[in-house]
Amino acid sequence: MEPLLQAINLTKSFGGLVAVDNVSMDIFPGEVVGLVGDNGAGKSTFIKMVSGVYQPNDGEIVIEGKPVSFSGPREARDMGIETIYQDLALAENLDAPSNIFLGREMKRAYIGGVIHTLDRNKMRDEATKVLARLDIRLPSLSQQIRNLSGGQRQSVAIARTIYWNAKMVIMDEPTAALGVSEQRKVLRLVRTLAEQGVPVVIISHNMQDVFAVSDRIVVMRRGMKVGELKAAKTTPDEVVSLMVGAEAVHEMGVLPKALNGVEE
Amino acid sequence: MTNTTEVQAEKVLKPENQKRNRRESLERIRQVWPWIFFIVLVTGFSIASKKMNDVNFISYRSVQGILEYATQIVLIALAQTFIIISAGIDLSLGWTLGFSSVIAAEIMQSLHAANFSPVATISLGMLGGILVAIAPGFVNGVLVARVKVPSFIATLGMGILVEGCALLISGGYPVAKQPPYLGALGNGYLVRYWPGHGFFFFKMPQAATVADLPKIIPILPNIVLVAIIVTFVCWFILAKTQFGQHLYAIGGNFEAAVRAGIPTSRTLIKVYILASVLAGIAGVIWAARFTSGAYNGGEYTPMMAIAAVVIGGASMFGGEGKITGTIIGSLIIATIQYGLVVLGVSPFYQYVAVGIVLILAVIVDQFGRSLGK
Repeated sequence: MEPLLQAINLTKSFGGLVAVDNVSMDIFPGEVVGLVGDNGAGKSTFIKMVSGVYQPNDGEIVIEGKPVSFSGPREARDMGIETIYQDLALAENLDAPSNIFLGREMKRAYIGGVIHTLDRNKMRDEATKVLARLDIRLPSLSQQIRNLSGGQRQSVAIARTIYWNAKMVIMDEPTAALGVSEQRKVLRLVRTLAEQGVPVVIISHNMQDVFAVSDRIVVMRRGMKVGELKAAKTTPDEVVSLMVGAEAVHEMGVLPKALNGVEE
Repeated sequence: MTNTTEVQAEKVLKPENQKRNRRESLERIRQVWPWIFFIVLVTGFSIASKKMNDVNFISYRSVQGILEYATQIVLIALAQTFIIISAGIDLSLGWTLGFSSVIAAEIMQSLHAANFSPVATISLGMLGGILVAIAPGFVNGVLVARVKVPSFIATLGMGILVEGCALLISGGYPVAKQPPYLGALGNGYLVRYWPGHGFFFFKMPQAATVADLPKIIPILPNIVLVAIIVTFVCWFILAKTQFGQHLYAIGGNFEAAVRAGIPTSRTLIKVYILASVLAGIAGVIWAARFTSGAYNGGEYTPMMAIAAVVIGGASMFGGEGKITGTIIGSLIIATIQYGLVVLGVSPFYQYVAVGIVLILAVIVDQFGRSLGK
């Protein structure tokens, strides 16, 4: 299978500090990849290069076989790479359909296009469809987003990316601010996305989440990729030992199972 | 096993549902309380005026009177509604009103002196007065959207500047010597009904003598008609267009609006121009009502207008507010003003009353919000 996105030897440095050092990663359609690492490991910098926020100093990004270079996040989004940050970027005073269509509202023309009005009915219908497709249930479509729960807001943000034909979704700590049952719903939604062919890269500190949802886990440490493991064939201990470095694990008394742990 | 889980799940769910229901009902109370307050206010004035002066407060005359009182506040409050929804404030609107009245009056004065026909004089003067308001609005918008000056400061400066311009142009005196018919337009009615003689549009029936005047029933003051049309246009812009939707998004979460690709700067510049033009319309109406232009024609209106918008349920933090709310807020203030006059109480009490209502409105709003959390 051809990878949807290939990041090849991406490097990014800020002044003398090398934040990401020669990291490569392939993302295939339909998979969930967990990207883990300690604070400052370079996860965010790597993701920001893929989503067009930063431009790499070296290396290449290839989407569906074609090399691309993004001068900004808008271009990445136009290519179908959608990123959902922790703050979700929703207008909390508006309802779900308004947020899904924020900045790209559907309109109706009157008097030969002299007057345009919002086509709220159509936006509502389309929102209903995309929410149903992702199996998302909201108490009411006319509720302001601020009256929804954290997980429901997260779902609306995800539905928005899907409606606008995201080819791949990057999620930064999607479960960080959620209660347990809400976390489960969001993780289920992540799996739904993957099953519909949209790969998801999920950055998380929560090992349980990462193992619950990922097919593959990529571990970063000090700007380098130090491990890439199949979730089914590894354990949280092993991943943690890669995250913090084997020596540190030794000191903590945890058995390092994978000293040279990079599989495949 | 399954049963226990379900029971537990229900227990977990229930308080969440209750909370949501309570939040929804509070939301409803927040939206209807200005209407309830308005009804209470009218009832109170009715009882008081019956007891004190043996006058019926609710009458055909008083309704038209209140609407006439409300017109100037309504126009400025509509302008302020747009600005407040975008999470800003425009302190220059009152001075733009005065500036527009001066410019319109100056144009009409010169054209009238140059023997232009009254129709041409009045229409050109009004057009000039409205168009000139675009300038302060545009500068406000650029300062707020591009230079990132806080709207409070930018529009405060612009207000003082515009006041200065109006003073310089008018020399500080009312701009008088206006064309005929101007006052008739500003203080006239759309229709007059003279029983037995029929309907007369805009003009007094020519056959009528002074003795006939009390028999003639005026219907819909011209300025109220203008206010109704402007209100409808504002409602349409805010509730039905993409521009209105973008304003709510900008006021609700500016970062999200930027990331969603909304042209935030352009939208903000447009909204400040729109608000200024509304103040310009209020300015030419002022000129028509008082057949002159004065730099301080809108001196006291802006604070009352902000009060009207807030009483109507808009949030000073942006993203919240409706035209219907602003209208009811304006009507509450106009009713207080008119009612005190009817009761024969010192009109200065209106400031005390409006101040109390405003603070009350904010307390109710905050109380509702804190309970909803």
